[in-house]
Amino acid sequence: MAHQVCLIRGDGVGPELVAAVETVFEAAKVSVDWIEVEAGLKCVEAGKPIVPEETIAKIKEIGVGLKAPMTTPIGKGSVSPNVTLRKKLDLYACVRPVKQLPGVPTPFDGLDIVIFRENTEDLYAQIEYMATEHVAHSVKIISDFGSERICRAAFEYARKNGRKRVVGVHKANIMKIADGLFLNVFKKVATEYPEIESWDNIVDNQCMQLVTKWKLYDVLVMPNLYGDIVSDLAAGMMGGLGVAPGANYGVGCALFEAVHGSAPKYTGMNKVNPTALLLSATLMLEHLGELDARRDVEGALEETLKKGVKTYDLGGDATTSGFADAIASELRG
Amino acid sequence: MMNLHGVDIYIWTPQTPDLPKEFGKFKLILISNRGPRVYPPPAPDMDLLDWPRARFLSDTVVTDEEVDALVHHLTGLGWRWTKCQKLFIKDGVNQFSQPY
Repeated sequence: MAHQVCLIRGDGVGPELVAAVETVFEAAKVSVDWIEVEAGLKCVEAGKPIVPEETIAKIKEIGVGLKAPMTTPIGKGSVSPNVTLRKKLDLYACVRPVKQLPGVPTPFDGLDIVIFRENTEDLYAQIEYMATEHVAHSVKIISDFGSERICRAAFEYARKNGRKRVVGVHKANIMKIADGLFLNVFKKVATEYPEIESWDNIVDNQCMQLVTKWKLYDVLVMPNLYGDIVSDLAAGMMGGLGVAPGANYGVGCALFEAVHGSAPKYTGMNKVNPTALLLSATLMLEHLGELDARRDVEGALEETLKKGVKTYDLGGDATTSGFADAIASELRG
Repeated sequence: MMNLHGVDIYIWTPQTPDLPKEFGKFKLILISNRGPRVYPPPAPDMDLLDWPRARFLSDTVVTDEEVDALVHHLTGLGWRWTKCQKLFIKDGVNQFSQPY
């Protein structure tokens, strides 16, 4: 029986990347019933909300979605469709695995880290004011509830996947109350997982250690803003946003996405690397219980890269569809 | 010139509060929790913190005394508030963000 998955084809190069995923899934004989839902720039241009309520309702009903990059319109009053989806679906755990890929140049040999970013709180509550003519004020919300569920998600992931260490990342030396709350909750949750080594790092020190002692790290968990920044840093260590997958988990709902933008200037050029969306789709396969399919697709992707078939961002000349076709050929043997 | 048009009142309560929809020049525009709007419906199906934010706005400029009176009224109704933030409009542009 086919898995039902909501599909957002996205803006800019999004539809081209989705087509690449469809090509690979077909070759992998993954049976997915794609249920297309609307969001992004096309909705705004049609006079609708950037993420219509019907889209939210459908993803909640189906419980799984794959999302290609979308464009946030520039201008006052515009909100990010990505953040809107995370907030309205309460997708509290943003999970970003970063791992060295064969054929993708990186000085970080052996890189293999999973970052858990709290997705719904912190400064991303988007509560801001001009308090006076000269002073802007943003409200940073950190709750014990929000901190506990993301820390627990990180430790549960570590336990389930045989990871040895979980590090809590914060800035509690300065934000003693807000980040202090996160840190206290992290330490409390850690006591429930005695088999997993854990400690905490201040976020600036963590950034330095990531690029000097990356092999020391296994699973990192942190509040929203630090997670946003550190996960992109880690994506760069892996080889760039073009190869970095992402997943967002809530209670009974999960949304998988490439973490890069919609690259509108490359729209229709069949040029952009589909690896990030494809690896995000393989995280979705695992979520759906299709472990063999995940292994097969990732194996075919790695073989393709090893053979030197690469898109422009990795120094190759393969097109988006050509790269997908090469992976599909590997899968067909 | 920053013109005072309303106030965000953060209330300590575990549920979305049933607040007066109007008071004086003010109308209850929305209530949010952790960012997303939870009133008026539809509210996202999410866990709530015990810190909803109620936004009261007026179409016309209001005074500090009128804001005080609104806050005093809510206190009198038994609502425990923890923080208030005045809302200004300058040259027709809101000097405050909108919820998700």
